[in-house]
Amino acid sequence: MHCGNFIKGPSSRREMLKGCAMGFGSVALQAMMADEAKASANPLAPKSPHHAPKATNVIFLYMDGGPSQVDTFDYKPLLDKYHGRDPREVIGELAPTQFDTIGKVLKSQWEFKQRGESGAWVSDLFPFLAEKEVVDEIAFVKSMTSNFSEHTFANYFLHTGSGLQGRPSMGAWLGYGLGSENENLPGYVVLNGGLIPPGGLDCFGSGFLPASYQGSVFLPREKPIANIQSVEKTPGVQRRKLDLIRNLDRARGEEVGFDPAVETAIQNYETAYRMQTAVPDLMDLSGESDAVKKLYGLDAEFKNTKTFGLQCLLARRLVERGVRFIELTCPGGNGDRWDQHKKLHDGHTKNCKTVDQPIAALIKDLKGRGLLDSTLVVWSGEFGRTPFAQGTDGRDHNPFGFTTWMAGGGVKGGVSVGETDEWGYKAVIDRFEMHDLHATMLHLLGIDHTQSTFRFGGRDMRLTDVHGHLIKQILA
Amino acid sequence: MNAFCQIAIVSCLVAGGVAAKAASIDSLEFFEKRIRPVLAEKCYQCHASDSEKLKGDLLVDHRENLLEGGETRAAIVPGNVEASLLIESIRYGNVDLQMPPKEKLSEAIVKDFEKWIADGAVWPDEPVPLREGKKEGFNLEKRRAEHWSWRPVERPEEPPVEATEWPRSGVDHFILDRLEEGGLLPAEEAEKSIWLRRVYFDLTGLPPTPDEIRAFDDDDSPDAFEKVVDRLLDSPHYGERWARHWMDLVRYAESYGHEFDYTIPHAFEYRDYLIRAFNEDVAYDQFVREHIAGDLLNEPRRNPKEDFNESVIGTGFWYFHEATHAPTDVLANESEIMDNQLDVFGKSFLGLTISCARCHDHKFDAISAADYYAMTAYIHSSARQEYPLDPHRQREEVRAKLEKLKTKIDAKLPVIELGISTTNDEAFEDFSEGVIPEGWSTSGFAFAGAGNQPGVRFDSNNSLTLPGTVDSGIFGQAQVGSLRSPTFTLEGDTIYVRAKGSSVSVRLIVDNYQMARYSSLLFNGAVIKDVDTKGQFKWLTMKGKLDKYIGHRVYLEFSDEGDGDVILDEVRIGGPVPAETKVEPALALDDEVEALIKEGQSLANQLPKPRFALAMAEGTPEAAAVYVRGSHRSLGEKVPRRFLTALGGKEVDRLGLANEVASAENPLTSRVLVNRIWHHLFGRGIVASVDDFGPMGQLPTHPELLDWLASELVKNDWSVKKMIREIVLSSTYRQSSEANTRINSEILANKDEANELLHRMPVKRLTGEVIRDSILAVSGGMDTSMHGPSIATHRTAFMTGRGGRKSGPLDGSGRRSIYGAVYRNFLSPFMLTFDVPSPFGPKGRRSVSNVPSQALVMMNDPFVLEQSQKWGQMMGGTEKSPQEKISDMYLKALGREPGESEMESVLSFLESETANGADPKEVWANVGHIMVNMKEFIFIH
Repeated sequence: MHCGNFIKGPSSRREMLKGCAMGFGSVALQAMMADEAKASANPLAPKSPHHAPKATNVIFLYMDGGPSQVDTFDYKPLLDKYHGRDPREVIGELAPTQFDTIGKVLKSQWEFKQRGESGAWVSDLFPFLAEKEVVDEIAFVKSMTSNFSEHTFANYFLHTGSGLQGRPSMGAWLGYGLGSENENLPGYVVLNGGLIPPGGLDCFGSGFLPASYQGSVFLPREKPIANIQSVEKTPGVQRRKLDLIRNLDRARGEEVGFDPAVETAIQNYETAYRMQTAVPDLMDLSGESDAVKKLYGLDAEFKNTKTFGLQCLLARRLVERGVRFIELTCPGGNGDRWDQHKKLHDGHTKNCKTVDQPIAALIKDLKGRGLLDSTLVVWSGEFGRTPFAQGTDGRDHNPFGFTTWMAGGGVKGGVSVGETDEWGYKAVIDRFEMHDLHATMLHLLGIDHTQSTFRFGGRDMRLTDVHGHLIKQILA
Repeated sequence: MNAFCQIAIVSCLVAGGVAAKAASIDSLEFFEKRIRPVLAEKCYQCHASDSEKLKGDLLVDHRENLLEGGETRAAIVPGNVEASLLIESIRYGNVDLQMPPKEKLSEAIVKDFEKWIADGAVWPDEPVPLREGKKEGFNLEKRRAEHWSWRPVERPEEPPVEATEWPRSGVDHFILDRLEEGGLLPAEEAEKSIWLRRVYFDLTGLPPTPDEIRAFDDDDSPDAFEKVVDRLLDSPHYGERWARHWMDLVRYAESYGHEFDYTIPHAFEYRDYLIRAFNEDVAYDQFVREHIAGDLLNEPRRNPKEDFNESVIGTGFWYFHEATHAPTDVLANESEIMDNQLDVFGKSFLGLTISCARCHDHKFDAISAADYYAMTAYIHSSARQEYPLDPHRQREEVRAKLEKLKTKIDAKLPVIELGISTTNDEAFEDFSEGVIPEGWSTSGFAFAGAGNQPGVRFDSNNSLTLPGTVDSGIFGQAQVGSLRSPTFTLEGDTIYVRAKGSSVSVRLIVDNYQMARYSSLLFNGAVIKDVDTKGQFKWLTMKGKLDKYIGHRVYLEFSDEGDGDVILDEVRIGGPVPAETKVEPALALDDEVEALIKEGQSLANQLPKPRFALAMAEGTPEAAAVYVRGSHRSLGEKVPRRFLTALGGKEVDRLGLANEVASAENPLTSRVLVNRIWHHLFGRGIVASVDDFGPMGQLPTHPELLDWLASELVKNDWSVKKMIREIVLSSTYRQSSEANTRINSEILANKDEANELLHRMPVKRLTGEVIRDSILAVSGGMDTSMHGPSIATHRTAFMTGRGGRKSGPLDGSGRRSIYGAVYRNFLSPFMLTFDVPSPFGPKGRRSVSNVPSQALVMMNDPFVLEQSQKWGQMMGGTEKSPQEKISDMYLKALGREPGESEMESVLSFLESETANGADPKEVWANVGHIMVNMKEFIFIH
């Protein structure tokens, strides 16, 4: 909740009445007029940022379920040494875990190596990401934390900055702050690989912001969204119907007066008409070369690599079309997302196989096209996993310290900030919060997170609530 | 949530204590070497008088500033390490309060600080650095006195106006007065057809039929308008329209959201309650009392048709919050839910942002954190119940008859001495008196004390009651009900219940957490879903994860939903349990007694299927601890149940609270309601921020009108219908949506461009529900039946995720949208597109977006197409001329006849499409589709 200073009201009844009588020309009026105007002005029209942006678009690679930091990017040799020991003896007091079945200290089953010129630690789970030209673009934040160890709370927190349901998602905040560069596509697109995260569509909602900012869920298939295909027998019929509707609407306007909201609605029909073409055009990959398709893994044997590859390729195409915020969710069938409470080896192997090649391809491809400089790529789960086992072969949720990474627009590649303790359990150096991630993302897009507010329920709401510091070490 | 800035002032402690001059050189040296450098390096960035940005309103650059504290209480208590917030924060033990935020200080440094405070927190004698803008302390009285909405409602005189012929209502005087003052004029009267369409949608959410339009057009009688309004207010559709407004406030939903979207039981009963309440025009003060304490009213309102308790259903609104099945911290979970409940309570009834005082005293309004926690005490002191509704009092009457019969039969039974001591010191409760013990409570008519003598039990086995027990089967197995223990602090990891029975459940409710049955991992042992003791008394064992909840506030609930029964003999916390000792009475019955018992049994068995409502019940009255800085890990003073200080602060029970809120003396309740009504009729409230009458809300555009309306409401016995009637029959509401052309355009632009003064009627876009309902009304596809379980949401290919239910029909069975299910994780995309709110908190003012996806829905959505094309085809198929058909369609869809040029345009479309070779049926189907895509179909002038 934002609890900052706002306008001061008049202090007495008389003063208030006076204010009202004088036409009430105060800030409140401006706010109300702005509210009113929303119904007429296009809410997706591009807006000016607070400062010069480093990036104009975001691709958020959402790793649903919580990848294990100690098996991917956060190398902790101590786990090998104490493998099999009771964590309460060697680590000390443990915070309550979601499932409360604490096993032994569990070493990683994957080998870690230093990669690229930066020497970033990456395990063998990510062979493509480990390639020099990719890994050196990445800034790792190894000390991310969340406030919640349950999926839905943590998902809402990651997406909206609040553990509660119904707040605007970060994509919606960006749309609110910056508008859209493409009037034929939504400003916030979720490319759904198959899994809607726990918490449901509210992870992508607009909350108290106007509905136009909510995420549109696209499925990676020919008709990715509802109601996008004209149902008339021929495009001509639809066009003639729309022409008639417009003429009748205008004629009515002559009679009863032109209301700005009605005018906007008339315009919306034209935009909607164009979207019917713009969306299929987005999905039509016939112009992509075989080399590109291969790069993304569209020919991969593993089905999920193909699915995620297609999502990544579509993400690039959305960036090219000026869509502001693109989120990718994971394909199903890899052992309940990244949420490996058991069978860690099998699940993480499949999950990495799903995303590794496509993500590496995305970074290379964006770079090759000169788009990486203006596109912020963010990789994160809602939390990490425990360095000790749940049961024998799984890991439980761990919100106390985990790894996220960013690459692209405004991000210094080849750096790593923050540290967890020697177990990879809790962040101890340069501890960051989700709010910091959000503040940094907004900053890179030219928005001061403390200034981007929306009045709701008596408070000026922010994505970062009353929190948020920039993760300065990763800024280029 | 880790910063000082979350933090509340609980009290500003008086500075004082050890004077620096008296401090020894040693301790000063210690301070300069070990303490000040750390403060400077780690804290001054955010907590010094020259910090670029001061956080949490806390300065740590002087002892006095530390003693004064920031938004919370004092940061240090010299000499008392444990009471010092500074220490708590640097120890990092409380995850809500960890400082410095980035990195924990070393153990050695923490020890230094502990020593420094233990030694009196000495600081050298130096001037106290001050900071501009550091906030004043919290002064509730001052704030209350300064803000308009706390002041009593005063009925103003209707101001005199120049255009004396214009006003029809008191309302008009206030509006016209302001218009005249600004040199403005009201708009012309709207055409009759426009006014009719407007008032139909506003009152019932449905368009007028062609017959109704013609009848009104032909009616030149002086009371033509009144007749329409009275008819609409009498229409059952009125309740369906206005109940939905209220549902936005109470975040009405039928599932809990989160991971698995579990069902909220019996939610629709509350929706139907609302519809009935609006239709019956239940006085608003009564409506408020029912919401807050409908379970406690001395004379609850009974349903006029089915004679069940209506009032209790109102309390269901407390429980439409979201809920998760796996909260690792159940107390934190409870505090989130309470926050939501109080947010709904505060905003809906009072227009107050009470929940802003959860972490600290309200930043702007006259609400203290203690006020907030005094309100939580009402929730702590209550329990959630599934209340058996008992239509026609069948259950109540059967119970009464059986009680009589039992007395008669029991008198014929011989006295039996069982010779067993029934009291038991080891027991949590041994039911030895044979009555519902003090502090325990029941819902329904199943549970009763078995008395102290064996007696008849109307089960199917001719068995006898066991003295010293509580029993849900004495009056037959078909009776339903529940029994709740007092709230207590759990002190053992196991609960034993000696019981005999089947098909009942036992639940341990921890910190009001209701979802334990979905979470065996975290709450194993807290629920026995289906008790079956196989006809014997047995010790039921509740054990598993209860050890996690030792020290928590809990209560037990036994539920009998009519499929079985249970006899409760004893409850123990912790073991061991004694061996079975009780002797069960048995005796041979003579024929006469047996016949009487048969009579009773057949009475007991004739009960219908039970029907429940989700409701609040009185629990164990308790005070609540203030959660310092909103953290349930930092308990502050205890506060009793009491209403907000600024509204009198009476220490009353929940019924008393209801009376305080529903009082005409309360300056907010009536104002907030009339403002909501105004908002729904004019698209914007007199106070535009309808849910926030506090200093952060907007000021009223017409403060005197607001008070006039509020006093009218009370004068008319809180009748919502009368209030609506007054407003919609006013000249203000009868205006056209076009500004009067006689207004000078410059004056218009300067004085009222935003139409706050209502120089014309605003154009309103219909809500999602009304758009859908209109389509059904026009197409003839509407089923107007009322009430009952909701129609499942139609699921599209895009609605996936956990907790999905079976898809409902595309047309929602033709029922009005209010009867469509509200599953939090599977909300109707149609409704979302048109801004129907996602139910998470009170929302008195919906957003009104205007986006291309709305056009896509109207152009291509299968429901819209199916209905409109079917209708177009049907209209096209009638034996009329094309002109007549088009006229009929205009009248039905848009409430008016087409103009000449409109007629020509549609006719030429018909002709050219047919000439292009299209099937006439298809062309007419397209005309139907075109009609609902006209902007005036959803924008109402």
